[in-house]
Amino acid sequence: MPYKKTEQKFNGKIGVCEIGAGDAAISIGGEKTLPFLGGEGFKTAVGIAITDSPEDWEGCFAAVYGDDMKDPAAFAKAAVEKSGADFVLVKLASADPNGADNSVENCVATAAAVEAAVNVPVVIEGCKNAEKDAKLLEAVAKTLEGKNVVLFSAVEDNYKTIGAAGGMAYGQKVSAESAVDINLAKQLNILLTQLGVKPQDIVMDVGSAAAGYGFEYVASTMDRIRLAGLGQNDDSLQMPIMTDVSNDSWGVKEAVFTEAEAPEWGSQENRGIGMEIATASACVIGGSNAIIVRHPESAKTIKSMVAGLLG
Amino acid sequence: MSKFMVIGERIHCISPAMRQAFADRNPDPILLRAKEQLDAGADYLDLNIGPAERDGEELMQWGVKLLQENFNNVPLALDTANMKAIEAGIKVYNREKGKPIVNSADAGDRIGYLDLAAANDAMCIALCSKEGVPANNDERMEYCQELLERGMEHGMEPTDILFDPLFLVIKGMQDKQCDVLEAIQMITDMGLLTTGGLSNVSNGAPKHIRPLLDCAMLAMAMQCGFSSAIVNPCDKRLMETITACDIIKNNILYADSVLEF
Repeated sequence: MPYKKTEQKFNGKIGVCEIGAGDAAISIGGEKTLPFLGGEGFKTAVGIAITDSPEDWEGCFAAVYGDDMKDPAAFAKAAVEKSGADFVLVKLASADPNGADNSVENCVATAAAVEAAVNVPVVIEGCKNAEKDAKLLEAVAKTLEGKNVVLFSAVEDNYKTIGAAGGMAYGQKVSAESAVDINLAKQLNILLTQLGVKPQDIVMDVGSAAAGYGFEYVASTMDRIRLAGLGQNDDSLQMPIMTDVSNDSWGVKEAVFTEAEAPEWGSQENRGIGMEIATASACVIGGSNAIIVRHPESAKTIKSMVAGLLG
Repeated sequence: MSKFMVIGERIHCISPAMRQAFADRNPDPILLRAKEQLDAGADYLDLNIGPAERDGEELMQWGVKLLQENFNNVPLALDTANMKAIEAGIKVYNREKGKPIVNSADAGDRIGYLDLAAANDAMCIALCSKEGVPANNDERMEYCQELLERGMEHGMEPTDILFDPLFLVIKGMQDKQCDVLEAIQMITDMGLLTTGGLSNVSNGAPKHIRPLLDCAMLAMAMQCGFSSAIVNPCDKRLMETITACDIIKNNILYADSVLEF
């Protein structure tokens, strides 16, 4: 008997968000069904992460990038070339007041240099200190006006500053971070919308966890968000989802233990890539419209997986 | 589960202001009431033009076009004793946001309204009554069955019929309230949808007591599966109760600002 694909019809539709400017612009979202079960909106964008604090990354990345890692612009260019990624995410980890406490000016200069070096959309991540990120992402939004970057991410404690600067004053995209808390995901979208940020300028950073480390909670969160947006037509949850799995995947023992520490586990690089691919592919199937990884091999694998699923 | 559907009842010719506006074809008071109800969260608007024996067809078409053109094709319930007027209204109705609802059929003289809805691919409110109020739930369910069969004979989807168990006034029929809830549960258990004019429950009670009774009845009815109601959406307490019940039933996702969205 021939296979007959039945498509579940929903009332709701996931919004489309355009990121990047000019020829470099791409759009994410737009689906009317659960992931890969319908005909449109599933060109899941794959992003490659770089950092301004490369000393924090595992040794295998030095072998991949060499001296390029020391210069964020060269790093970004090499990362996009090696991975074929659709966009790049720059982590301004050096800004962390509990770490290097790099100045806002320096970090903004890094972001601007990265933006100028690549011709793909850019996502700018802060240092995950709410107070510093408010200042940092506000300044980034101002300096990169017109480049339509994603500010990654606003949280409950700084959404007003980041939303007002990014989503309103300087026309950037605002990511709303909810750390696998489904009610907070909805709440932040409502708060940003009430502030005046347009729904099409918001993406959801609903969080993740490395595969095997509580990922089932991530999966059920994504499912519930998508079912609310599609099935219940809840327009406070119809924004595209952007997920960065790189920190979680490269932060668990499978990726962190060196070959000297765990000789029986084999190549550390392969283990890290494996964790990253397992986590990223699960997020893509769960509904992430844009997925961010660290290793160029992970990016290539996820891109080919998406292409294969689309057929 | 889908969320509870609110049909706004305030464009009704029983109101002198509306009656006058219909007579004069004066859009402003009608548009104002429509906007108030939609802002308050109504999903559908009921358009009750009264008996409208003389100019019903033209009046219904005027009302349908007026509301849909001004409010982004808002879905409507067409409510009049003049069947031709309903049919005329459906002819100019835009289905982008939902099918029209015919308001209403019963198992007695008004059973033809179901045929009308079926012939025009509309939904239909079906009162579980024949002559006056049903005496008990045996009668209610018998009428429900008759209406269901009639609709299906004419090709309707069972979920295009909204069964109205008939809410009864507490002042006078207090002992029958639980019957109504039980009827909602039985109709829901058949996989069917329900609706009803909720405010009947508190008719004649003092103004400050009415919202309390309406809200409690609504919450209890929703627990029995009640899926929509014809209400005044400007009753804030009632709308908040619906939202709270939708959250508890997992029909909508909770967020701290859920009432402000």
